[in-house]
Amino acid sequence: MVRNVAERAFLPARSLLEEIGDMMILTGRTITAALRPPYPYGGEFVSQFLFALRLCWFPLLLSTVALNYAAPGLQAANFLTLFGALDRLGGIFVLAAIREIGPNVTAIVLAGVAGTAITADLGARKIREELDALQVLGVDPVKNLVVPRFLALMLVTGLFDIYAVLFGLFGGLLAEKVEGQPLGPFWNTLFANASTTDLWGSVLKCTIFGAIIAIVCCYKGMTASGGAEGVGRAVNQAVVVAFLAIGAFNYTFTQMLLATHPNLLVIK
Amino acid sequence: MNELLALPREWLAATGEIGRFMGTVVGDVWGGRVLHFFGETLRQAGILIVSSTLVVWALMFILGLVCGTEGAYFLEANGAPAYAGVFAAWCDLREIIPYAFGYMMAAKVGTGIVAELGAMRISDEIDALEVMGIDSMTFLCATRLLAAWIVLPFVYMAGMGGAFLASYIAVVQQVGFVSSGGYLLIFWEFQNPPDFLYSLIKAMVMATAIVLVGCYYGYNASGGPVGVGTATAKSMVLNLVLVHLIGMLGTQIFWGGNPNAPIGG
Repeated sequence: MVRNVAERAFLPARSLLEEIGDMMILTGRTITAALRPPYPYGGEFVSQFLFALRLCWFPLLLSTVALNYAAPGLQAANFLTLFGALDRLGGIFVLAAIREIGPNVTAIVLAGVAGTAITADLGARKIREELDALQVLGVDPVKNLVVPRFLALMLVTGLFDIYAVLFGLFGGLLAEKVEGQPLGPFWNTLFANASTTDLWGSVLKCTIFGAIIAIVCCYKGMTASGGAEGVGRAVNQAVVVAFLAIGAFNYTFTQMLLATHPNLLVIK
Repeated sequence: MNELLALPREWLAATGEIGRFMGTVVGDVWGGRVLHFFGETLRQAGILIVSSTLVVWALMFILGLVCGTEGAYFLEANGAPAYAGVFAAWCDLREIIPYAFGYMMAAKVGTGIVAELGAMRISDEIDALEVMGIDSMTFLCATRLLAAWIVLPFVYMAGMGGAFLASYIAVVQQVGFVSSGGYLLIFWEFQNPPDFLYSLIKAMVMATAIVLVGCYYGYNASGGPVGVGTATAKSMVLNLVLVHLIGMLGTQIFWGGNPNAPIGG
């Protein structure tokens, strides 16, 4: 009885730990395969890069403008109106658009759009036994499929972060216009408070998000099983795990960045 | 350029289809036809509780922590660390936690429905239902929508409680610029029941949209096992955009010209 209960409680925990371990192993193998010659993944890298770009530019644009217009834009403007200090909105956008919302929305959209597509693609190949066929032919799936996706997603997520920050600021400008304010003070407080540390922190965070998404989605795709339902289930699990991993990493990174860089916190 | 515009154009065409599908399903629930399958509804509600609740709460909790951290440091920088509660209250209740709920609902429940219904569609189970004389759309989609409406308000409220706790942990226990009492005074001062109701409405509209989009893509999946995977991925794109648009519209409608804060007259 006790044993039964213990097993029921610990089995999911154990399989979770095993899965995390497997993903770490895949990360290690991907990095070694990426560094060790030969480098056959150039063409695949470019096509994956363009694939992610084509898929994500429009959802990301809508998402980031909507989120920045509403959350830091309208709500913070509401708060600042009470003090007649709407010109300070730019300062809040350093915290909101650059440090948090830019990288997070980019990661969420990339995981939901490009990551799911990668899992669906690899999962389909897995259940049609194409991956096994590749291995029989002596082609390493990690080197030829995972590495280009890993590198492409890291690069594209890092670059999309800047895109998301730009459109996030556009959302802020919209909010400022809706409140009937001139835009000069917004830019003024924005550039007075923004620092290089904020920007590189944001881009670095986002690049690591890209790596997390790529590993989770490739892993889930390559271990899909169970026929028709299997691919769908793999996509489902991939996006859930990716979101949780993004959230957990974001929390750790934000804490570390803020605690180790007190100069970010000086209001100018 | 044509390739770049293919996606928006495809969306516009899909919008009409999805709108009609959503109308039918909501009509099934509204007209009470779904009550013929009330047992199935309860079963779906049970599945929703057992399999999805914990993950949804997990993301809400994590983003609650982030809200608390940013708020604590930001207000410290402004020289008013005691007011971290303002940031935490608004970030949690009004904006970020509804989004967290929407994201995780889309990821866990939305894609789960697509995978499940898609597998049924391509293994001809949905056709079999029709042959047996069961209205498949009511049986599969309307029951899931009603189940979501029954369960999710409570899931959301409990998750919001978890997020409040997370912000408290981050601001008071971890960063520690403000005392527990001082934080809670400001935190509760800057929110009231209407805020909570608006937040709940926002989250429920997101949840409804997500369940309906999931049903649409799953119910109309085609093209074998690969098709199910593709449909799952596609549903996620639409869900993310809808979550953000609903979040924006909700903020604009509920708090657009109404700060609802205990400052001034």
